[in-house]
Order: sequence, then C-alpha cells, then structure tokens
Amino acid sequence: MNCVIQELSVLYSAEEHQLLALDKVCLELAPGRITALVGESGSGKTTLGKAVMGLLPEDARVQGSIELDQRELVGQPESVFNTVRWSRVAMLFQNGAENLNPVHRIVDQLAEPLIHKQGLAKAEARRQAEQALQGLELDPALGRRFPHELSGGELQRCLLAMAFILDPEMVILDEPTAALDAMSKGLMGRIMCRARERGKALLLITHDLDLAARVADNVLILYLGQVMEILPARDLFPAPDHPYTLALGRSYPGLDTHRELGGIRGDAFYRVLHRHREHNGGVRPHSHIVGREAGHEDGHVPPSGCLFRERCTQAVAECAGQDVPLLRVGDHQVRCLREGIVTALVLEQVAKQYGGVRALQGTDLSLKAGETFCLVGESGSGKSTLAMIAAGILPPDQGRRFFEGRDMEPWIRTDYRSLAQKIGVVHQDPAQAVSHRFSVLEMVAEPLRIQKQVQSKEDLKALVREALKDVHLSTEPGFLKRYPHELNMGALQRVCIARALVTNPSLLVADEPTSSLDPSVQAKVLKMMLDLQIEKGLTMLFVTHDLGVARKIGDRSGVMLAGHLVETGPAAQVLERPAHPYTQSLLEGAGGKMALNPAGEAGRVEQGCSFALRCSRAQPVCRQAFTKPVQSAQRRVACHHPL
Amino acid sequence: MHRELGRRLIRDPWFLTGAVLMFLFAFLLAARPWLTAFDPHDMRFQPLSPPSAEHWLGVNDGGMDIFAELLKGLGNTLAFGLLAAGVSLLFGVGAGLACAWFRGLLDVLLMRIAEVLMAIPAVMILILMAAFFRPSPLFLALVLAALTWPSIAKVIRAQTLVLKGRLHIGAARQMGASSLYILRRHLLPELFPLYCIGFASKARMAIFMEASLSFLGLFDPGRKSLGMMISQALEYYYLDIWWSWLLPPILCLSLLIMCVTFLAVSLEKVFDPRLKEAL
Repeated sequence: MNCVIQELSVLYSAEEHQLLALDKVCLELAPGRITALVGESGSGKTTLGKAVMGLLPEDARVQGSIELDQRELVGQPESVFNTVRWSRVAMLFQNGAENLNPVHRIVDQLAEPLIHKQGLAKAEARRQAEQALQGLELDPALGRRFPHELSGGELQRCLLAMAFILDPEMVILDEPTAALDAMSKGLMGRIMCRARERGKALLLITHDLDLAARVADNVLILYLGQVMEILPARDLFPAPDHPYTLALGRSYPGLDTHRELGGIRGDAFYRVLHRHREHNGGVRPHSHIVGREAGHEDGHVPPSGCLFRERCTQAVAECAGQDVPLLRVGDHQVRCLREGIVTALVLEQVAKQYGGVRALQGTDLSLKAGETFCLVGESGSGKSTLAMIAAGILPPDQGRRFFEGRDMEPWIRTDYRSLAQKIGVVHQDPAQAVSHRFSVLEMVAEPLRIQKQVQSKEDLKALVREALKDVHLSTEPGFLKRYPHELNMGALQRVCIARALVTNPSLLVADEPTSSLDPSVQAKVLKMMLDLQIEKGLTMLFVTHDLGVARKIGDRSGVMLAGHLVETGPAAQVLERPAHPYTQSLLEGAGGKMALNPAGEAGRVEQGCSFALRCSRAQPVCRQAFTKPVQSAQRRVACHHPL
Repeated sequence: MHRELGRRLIRDPWFLTGAVLMFLFAFLLAARPWLTAFDPHDMRFQPLSPPSAEHWLGVNDGGMDIFAELLKGLGNTLAFGLLAAGVSLLFGVGAGLACAWFRGLLDVLLMRIAEVLMAIPAVMILILMAAFFRPSPLFLALVLAALTWPSIAKVIRAQTLVLKGRLHIGAARQMGASSLYILRRHLLPELFPLYCIGFASKARMAIFMEASLSFLGLFDPGRKSLGMMISQALEYYYLDIWWSWLLPPILCLSLLIMCVTFLAVSLEKVFDPRLKEAL
C-alpha cells in the first residue's frame, strides 16, 4: 500500500490565534520501507501520525491531501476512516500503556479487534493473540496477566503486537522506544526490520536519532511543522546537509559519538498564525515563532523566510526574505537557501617545502561550516603547516585554497585584512602569542585596531568586553588593565581566544591551543570553545597531538603522516575503528602500548608510504609507491593494506 | 614585566645615585642665569683672585669668573655628549631595524660598513680632523656619531631578528598588521632597553671624548669646555687657587661620567643581564 501525503497542513485553533502544527508536509510511505520522522518536541511529528489516522481533535483544521492507494482521506467522514484504521493503518501510540484497559487481561484486549473487525470466534482470536505475543518474543503466559502486572518494556511489546494484530499494511510507531531499556530497544529495532521484510510501510516517529539511523531507510527532519531535510538514514550522523540536522545529531548522546554534546542555540516551541487587522481593513496572515527568547509579544517574525534562521549559524540576510522550497542536493532534499551546510574551506593539493624538506605533500581538505575538524599525527607530520596554510598565514608552494567559495590567493594579495577578519588563529603558547607590553584590553583590541574596524574608543571597549564575556572572563576595568604576567595560563589562553574571536570570524584555526594547559583548565577551555561554536557556528580546524582531545571535540578527524593526510573521516569512526595501521599505532601509543616497530628499522622512505618501515602489514609495494586516498562513504584512507 | 622593571630600577642604588647626579647637573644648567650674573667671556675682573662672595670660585688668569666658566663648560660638554649619543642612537637604530626588517643586500652592505667602522679607532679620526680642519663642535659631534653607530646597530639588528620570529608578531601579521604597525606597537617598545643602554654608553664615550679633545686644545680656544678648563688650570697648579680652579672641572667631569655610567650600568642590570655581553 502506498501512502502519499501532499502539502499537508494542520492548524489548531486557540483563543485569538491558530497554532500551525504542520506546514505543507509532503511525504510518501512505500511498502517495505521505514521512514523516520525526527525533530524536537513540538515539531509536529505526532500530529502527522494522527492526521493519517484521522485522529486529530475537533478543532484541528487539516489542509492538503493524504492519499491511501489513490484514495483521499482528508475531509472524509469517520466511517471511511473506520474502514482503514487498524486493519490497514495501525498506530502505536506514545505512552500507549495508558490506553490499555486495566480490568481486562492482555490477551483479551489483543483478541478484541480480531473478534470485532474480522469476526473471528473467541477461541480462535485468543489463539492468534497468543501467537502474536510469541512473535514478539513474549511468553504467551504473560497474556493472561493484567496490564499493571507487566513491565514497561513488556507493555510496549504488547501494544506493538496489538498494532500488528490485524496485519495492517502500514504502521505508525510514535516514540516506540521512549521508555525502553537497551535490550527492549534492540528487540524493537529487530521487530521493525522484520516488519519491513514482510513488506509493511512503517512510519517511525522518534526523537531517538540512533534508532532512526540504524533502522530507517529515510529520515525526515521536521522543524516547527516544516520538513527541513529528507535524507538517507545512513547519512544522518556523518553527513547531514541541513544545519538543523547537524545540530540535532550533535545534541544526541549516541553510543558512537565521543564528542561533547552540543545543542542548538536559542529555542522555539511552536508557531502561531495571527490574522492582524491592517489599517485599511484588510486582513494579513502573520506567523510567529514562540520561544523563550522570541516571546509571543516581542518576537514578531515576518511571515516569510526560513523558520530556522534565528537559530541557524549560517543564516544570511537573504534567509529572511523568501520562503525556501525543498531543494535537491545529491540524494538529500534540503530546505535551505544555501543548499545545506556550506563549505567553509577547501584546500586542493596544497604542498609546502621548507628548504629540501617536504613538510606537506599534495593534500586535499574540505571543511564544512560549523564543524570541528581535528588534525592529529606525530610531530613533524605537517599538521601545523597544513593549519597555517588553511589560516592564510603560510603560502603553499602549489595547490589552491578557497575560503567561503573565494580563491584565497588573489584575496590575500588584494585585501588581506578582510580575509584576516574572517579567520581567527589561536596559538599553542599563549604567553608567546601576546606582547607582554599589552594589557588585556590592548591584547583583545589588537585585531580591531589593526583592521581599523572600529572608530570610537567606546565601541572598541564594548566589543572587547563582549569578547571577554564570551570566553567567561571578567570585564571589570581592573581586569582590562592587567598584563599577561598577572594572568595564569588558562586565563591568558582565553584572552587569546577572545582576541581570535573579537572580529567575529567564521573559521577558527587552533594550533594545539590547550597543550600548555593542565587538564582541568584544558577541560574548561575546550568546553567553552564548543559552546562558542554552538552560539556562533564557528568552523574549527583544531590541531592536536592529543587523540583524547580529538575524540572529545571533533566532528571529523584527519590523521597526518609525513606530509600526507592518510586518513580522514568522522572522528568517532577514525579514532574507534582506524583503517590505517598508522592511526592504529597512534591510538596504541596514546593508550600506553608500545608502538609497532617489528623490524626495528629506522630511516626515511623516499617514494612509498612513510610508515612502511614501522608497519606490521607492510609489503614491498608499500615502500615503492604511495597510494592515492580511497574514498568510501565518509572516510578516505591512503593505504595499500587497510585494516 | 616592564612594570616590574620600573620598580626594580627605583630600588637600585646605582640608578638612584645616577639619577641624583643627573638632577644635580640639570639643576645647575637650568639655574645658570640665577646662580651667576657673569658672562664667562667677560675679562674685566682681577686675574687669579681667590674665591669670594662675588666670585664663588675666584677668577682665572684671563680675568674671567671661574664659576660662570664652569657652568658654561659643563653645558657645552654635555651638549656635545648628548648630541653625539643621540645622533649615533638614531643612526644605529635606523640601520639596525632596516637591516633586520629587510635583510638581503641592504643588510649585507650596512653590516659590512658597520664592521669596517668598528675597526677604525674614533679618537684618531677625531684628533686628525680637529687638528687639520678646525671644524665646529657640532660637526665633530656628528662625525663621532657617524663612527659609533655600528655597535648600536648590531645589537638592535640582532634583537630585532629575535623579535621578528616571536609569535606575537606573527600573530599580529596574521591579523593583517602593516609593517608600520608592527614597528610602532611591537618592535620599538620592545627595543626600549637597548636604546637606553646604547644612548648611555655612547653619551659617556662622547663626553669623555669632548673633554679629551678640548684638553688637547683641539677645539676653538674661545669655546668653554671642562677639558679646556682643566688644561688651563694645570698651568697654575702650583698656586694655592688650584682647589677652586682645577678641582671643580675635574670633579664635574668625573661626576658627569659617573652619572651616565651609573645610569647605563643599572639599566643594563635591570633590563637584561644577558645584554651586558652584547654592549
């Protein structure tokens, strides 16, 4: 059975305004596919499910169409829905255990639809009900109990059995795993996959991104009633295209993610539609987003434009101007004027030599806006060189650099300051990175003074104070007058970060920014940097030799070996299941194990892989030629014999 | 760090002594019109008269008031020293910065010239020039400056090269700073101790040089100078007026050189112990 939902809008009436729960949602549910519907609470997920079931409350106004096998459901009387409900489309409700009748045994409640809808005899219905329980790995004896005698997980499975009891062609599952333990959750996933194999169309409504990514085929990201992105489930964590999807993924404590949890700046609860009476007597529809910050009274958001723009870190002025349709980007569909997350920085085959030493050899790197890319590798592997080339400080000998889509070479030649304004750099040693003759105020104000952005002294001070506040430092006049030697390393590094951020850059290049700090200060500084990233949408290129740090803060990681980027990919994958033997031995070294060096050979490999002498998997070919990186899914590995 | 330096300077006895002497000399020179009413070139007094209420240090063989002569000579000597040191510092800093900043051919050329100049003894040149051309003291001061800038230039160049590689200057460059900005905000303040030390050592040398040349009578005899006074007074050392005539210029000269030396030593000590070897 095919279910096609077209331009579905749902409005709930309240006293003087209407609540816009769904805004022109289009969706197709095909047999044998699991579609996940994901979004924050209040995004209209459940409303969509209920709309398909015809279970919306009286005051809801439904527009658009829901077609079930070319049969229109919207606007149909209850009798039509009755022929569809349960037998063709079933729904597992959120907190559904409350819907069970406490005075009837489970098996009786399961048999009820069989008796009433299919007209089976009582005994036969009971037998089938017990079979259904067995199918969900439940003891049939449980069926003779009352609902309050079962655990939450067992109840949820009983409800699932109930949803499937009439063998419907489509099942809507509303938060099936919300209150479940890990074992039941795993079982729930298996049941869903089995249903898919039987050709059911499943709509999985969940805020459990992990489940959606593992089980579903397609994921729909819903935000304030609008579909923001439709993407294949495998791309949900590693390669989202919409900034909202990325932020959601970062907020989710998945088992694979080691990164600190992020969040989404600001908040939004629901959308209301007003009908304002204009002076000329006309009526103008007018929509608001109600949140804590953009309150109902003061936050008048114009009716057009992207709904997410206030919380989006890559929003530009045009985002407010027009409604954005779903755009097709690759195999994703994205509702974003900028065609999804923009690419902040692209390095193409950049190389650098110091004297005769090849510090960096033809390396490609591309950073998406708002992501943290960690460069790891042994010292002398070219991490800093690559970072400095990315920051525009060091000119590469060959290769091209693009920042925000603009070629950096002419940009540096003609108007370097406007580029420098967009790139902040944090150095390893804060004590060296500032002149000891500068006070805190002068240190932070330095980029503003150099770039001559601010004219009046008051504005300058205000900007400095704001930057200091961002990094959780005092803005007292006494503190502004302090000198570097009067500050501890942590505070000084924060001053340096404030200095890097005072011009409001979009890229932050940090070269070992926390290696001179002790662990507790490092923790504070790293957390603060991640918070700033959420607020400002910074793209971060983070050079570190500390794999723990890379795992904790990185979205993606790149591993450098003798001027080559030998492995790149999502941080969790690269540092959890390395594909390059070098990465593995880095991890082993970090874990205190002895690095692999079976032959005990030393020396340089001129042509082939620089790790060949230390690699246990090395073959003669490794010393003869270096392989080009091979791309698979989100990862790139340059190795003849990957793990 | 540079704020602590100020506090350490004030506590340093060398600096305090030097500073007290400096204020004393500055007071003597500034208060000259009130301290003495006589023109040092006025020859109408009784020659070789001993000190009196009118003539505090007596009158010399030419009938001139010795105190007025002393103050005038002090002023001339000091002016010569400061001028020579100032110009030398200017040349030295300019050349040193230019060499370190631009490197290349300019660096090679200027540093080779500096090495040649450092090999020439300045006293010889000055004596020869003063003896043959009878130039003005101003010109001689400039010649002295032209001969002594290399040592300052060398130190400034070396320190600038060190500073150029510092991270905070690299950071300023990354922010898009112009060379002028880096020079003004980062390099020049950072080099401050070197100016102080260079200036003090050059001033000390120039003062001594002026006194020596005038002692040898190589300056215009009409020009008052401490060295000339000493050489004149020496001719009458057998008279009992030597203590009021010979002693004051010798004391003045010694104290002046002491003052500058003390200041230089204490600045060296305080700013950077490692720089002692460099200068």
